Amino acid sequence: MKLLEVKSLTKQFGGLRAVSAFDLSIEEGEIFGLIGPNGAGKSTLFNCVAGVYPPSGGDVLFSGKSISGQKPWNLCKRGLARTFQIVKPFASRSVLYNVMVGSFATTGKSAAAERKAREVLAFLHLDKKTEILAGNLTIADRKRLEIARALATEPRLLLLDEVMAGLRPTEVDEMVAIIRTIRKNGITVFVIEHIMRAIMALSDRIAVIHFGQKIAEGTPAEVASDKNVIKAYLGEEYAVS
Amino acid sequence: MITILEDTINGILMGSIYGLMALGLTVIFGVLKVINFAHGSLLMVGMYVAYWAVQLTGLHPYLALILVVPVMYLFGYYLQDIVIKPIYKAEKQVREPITVIIVTTGVWYILDNLSLLVFTPQYRSLPDNPLRGKMIEIGSMLISVPKLWGAVTAVLTAAAIYWFLQKTRMGRAIRATSLDREAASLMGIRQYSIYNITFGIGTAAAGVAGVTIVPFFNVFPTVGVLFDIKCFIIVVLGGLGSIGGAILGGIIIGIIESVGPQFMAATWTEAIVYGLFLIFLFVRPSGLFGVKYDW
Amino acid sequence: MTRERIQIFFLIAAAGGALGLPLVITSPTYLHILILLFFYAYLTTSWNLVGGFAGVLPLGHSTFVGIGAYTSTILSLQYGISPWIGMIIGGVLAAIAGVVIGMPTFKMRGAYFALATIAFAEGFRVMVENIDYLGPFFLNGPRGLQIPPLNVGLANFMFTGKSPYYYIILVMLAAVLILTYAISRSKLGYQLVAGGEEPEAAAALGINVARAKLIAMAMSSFLTALAGTFYARFTLFIHPKSAMSLDLSFEIAFIALIGGRGSIAGPVLGALLLRPVGDFSRIYFGDKLPGLHLIIFGVVLILVMIYQPRGLQEPLTRAYHRLLDRLSGKIEK
Ligand SMILES: Nc1ncnc2c1ncn2[C@@H]1O[C@H](COP(=O)(O)OP(=O)(O)OP(=O)(O)O)[C@@H](O)[C@H]1O
Ligand SMILES: [Mg+2]
Repeated sequence: MKLLEVKSLTKQFGGLRAVSAFDLSIEEGEIFGLIGPNGAGKSTLFNCVAGVYPPSGGDVLFSGKSISGQKPWNLCKRGLARTFQIVKPFASRSVLYNVMVGSFATTGKSAAAERKAREVLAFLHLDKKTEILAGNLTIADRKRLEIARALATEPRLLLLDEVMAGLRPTEVDEMVAIIRTIRKNGITVFVIEHIMRAIMALSDRIAVIHFGQKIAEGTPAEVASDKNVIKAYLGEEYAVS
Repeated sequence: MITILEDTINGILMGSIYGLMALGLTVIFGVLKVINFAHGSLLMVGMYVAYWAVQLTGLHPYLALILVVPVMYLFGYYLQDIVIKPIYKAEKQVREPITVIIVTTGVWYILDNLSLLVFTPQYRSLPDNPLRGKMIEIGSMLISVPKLWGAVTAVLTAAAIYWFLQKTRMGRAIRATSLDREAASLMGIRQYSIYNITFGIGTAAAGVAGVTIVPFFNVFPTVGVLFDIKCFIIVVLGGLGSIGGAILGGIIIGIIESVGPQFMAATWTEAIVYGLFLIFLFVRPSGLFGVKYDW
Repeated sequence: MTRERIQIFFLIAAAGGALGLPLVITSPTYLHILILLFFYAYLTTSWNLVGGFAGVLPLGHSTFVGIGAYTSTILSLQYGISPWIGMIIGGVLAAIAGVVIGMPTFKMRGAYFALATIAFAEGFRVMVENIDYLGPFFLNGPRGLQIPPLNVGLANFMFTGKSPYYYIILVMLAAVLILTYAISRSKLGYQLVAGGEEPEAAAALGINVARAKLIAMAMSSFLTALAGTFYARFTLFIHPKSAMSLDLSFEIAFIALIGGRGSIAGPVLGALLLRPVGDFSRIYFGDKLPGLHLIIFGVVLILVMIYQPRGLQEPLTRAYHRLLDRLSGKIEK
């Protein structure tokens, strides 16, 4: 079943067309990768899907129903969670508090919210750090916290925007394992990533965006050998890790 | 009919002076992105400096500018450097630190009450200055001379600041900082010294406004309170950060205040001004000319 | 366990002390000061629901004090309705006003919100000053309303001595503190904090930030208005320049900010520390050094913002926990 469908989505910022007639469809249970050079429009596409920006044109369907123009908080309640490329922790509060904010999306009871939050934190290996202030975490832990909060809302689809940027190689490997387990637990994952090694290993399918347009789509192997993709990236991102 | 015209003209003149009062507020907001709640108090300080300069020397009130502008510039410069900068440093990541608003409120309380201690609540005026009570007659209309001087000064000051920001090297650095402080500091612009300078300019502008009203208005410790909410209203009407908007916003308020009493009790005009302000805030928060911020 | 027991002991001691104080303090002046102290602690705690937890800066809360004070006073003077009922009606009216102010402004950030609240409050005060009769209701413009001290008794919210007022405001304060505690631990509390700190992240986590803030604003203005009725019955005289003044709005915010906004103890600590400074400097230096306490407020405010931006509550809480540790350690030994 198709969980997310993006149909001819366009987002215009003044004169700049950040996303242009973009089509995409993600199957339930898939890990779908989105790559593209800096400024290609990846985060903008995410923001349109997650309701931060209303699209300028086109439509977004979530499990068959149009969600374009809906507010982020409603989308969250319908099972769409996301992380931010620039992490946004509630810095003055503890890690546990941060995750409980997420778990309150599905429950009104503090005890249940705390139970859920601790569960998620254990899953992300943050259970030893529950009382640390979120503002004092390392980059790697902040990225995990971002995922933990999103998972606590019990999503069906998880959008991850560069959760591996700035991580050390061993941390990247851990993150790959975590994302795989998330999928194993039945959550569909839509992931933006610059680290090729990771996204190639992780994704079932990958789409490539360049200047807001889709230039390729397919299995990691297909994408990696695509002429357009190599041209778009020439000498750039392949050099990284 | 003539009285309405007369009121309108005097309203425009007084309104320009209001605009001049608000000028510093809008300049400071444009760069530091904070509303300086102490602005009325800075105006009050400027008025006292002007008052004493004239009172002690007996010179023409506008000659006080020679003293007021540098004194107020330095006052603002060091106020930002010593009191406000530490907050920015502590809250670097915060885009629009509410704490700064709070600190400027503290400055307001300190300045107003210090001047109450030092100068007592006494109302002071310059009864013998050459501008006081002067009127020119145009037909059967009476136009206030000190307000005319003030309005001309307002327009000149606004033009000078505009020119400075557009044409000089320092002005361009200030504008770069106001657009994007990270990018500006990457280009080697020192953010905090820009803040100091901007605050100095804004305070000096408040000082100029002080000079223009001293000839016809009483000076007392809480005189700033009378004007600062008006200044907030003006900058929101005109658009926070916009220089022309400040003058225009001032003129709008000035006209309402001087023409309004023809049609209603004078105290009601005040309520109308607040109502207009709220309407703007809700319907067009970026004001007449303001840049739309992502509030 | 012993730690908790010590805390319960402290709590009981504090409650006992507060209840017993009027027996010890017989001077009406000091009792008056104490009552006002609790009155301010109550106001700042109510303010804190929106100003602290929701992370905005409301600077017009005296409007709600005024709405509460005028509503119950008019209803009791003109219609003989019990001030207790008027208190609730005033609260509801204030909550409506709070929502009306909040709806357009909560979408804005920081400075605009602060300005809007000031403008609303000042505009409201000017209106009241201009109105003698609002329909059938007698407001008496700038002269305000005097409450004749007749019909003494609980039902009429009027007493001869000061200690009944003391106990009423004490109960109100305790109630609002318990309410704040419950909210801070509830879903709403989490939503407010999250929305105040990172609105985008909060929205992505399923929070309708504007709605949460509106709920907080409605509660805060309702509670604030209740204190308005208390103020009217306690002082027996209200007028726009007292019950709706900008000074009152600012003092509420200052006390909360210095004490520590967003915490439960902060506003109370702020009132405990600042009110006496204000009162005693007024009593002892009032004629020679007018405004001294306001200078002190300003200086303290700036220093606190620079060195303890979360308020004095933070170091004091730390010290308190250290004290608890030490005491519980000793007892265990
Ligand atoms: N709110 C906005 N207003 C105006 N332009 C924007 C806005 N957000 C993004 N853009 C522009 O849209 C384009 C796409 O940006 P986007 O953030 O989607 O890129 P990206 O693919 O996520 O890049 P990166 O890999 O650096 O994260 C860029 O040119 C960017 O400057
Ligand atoms: Mg991006």
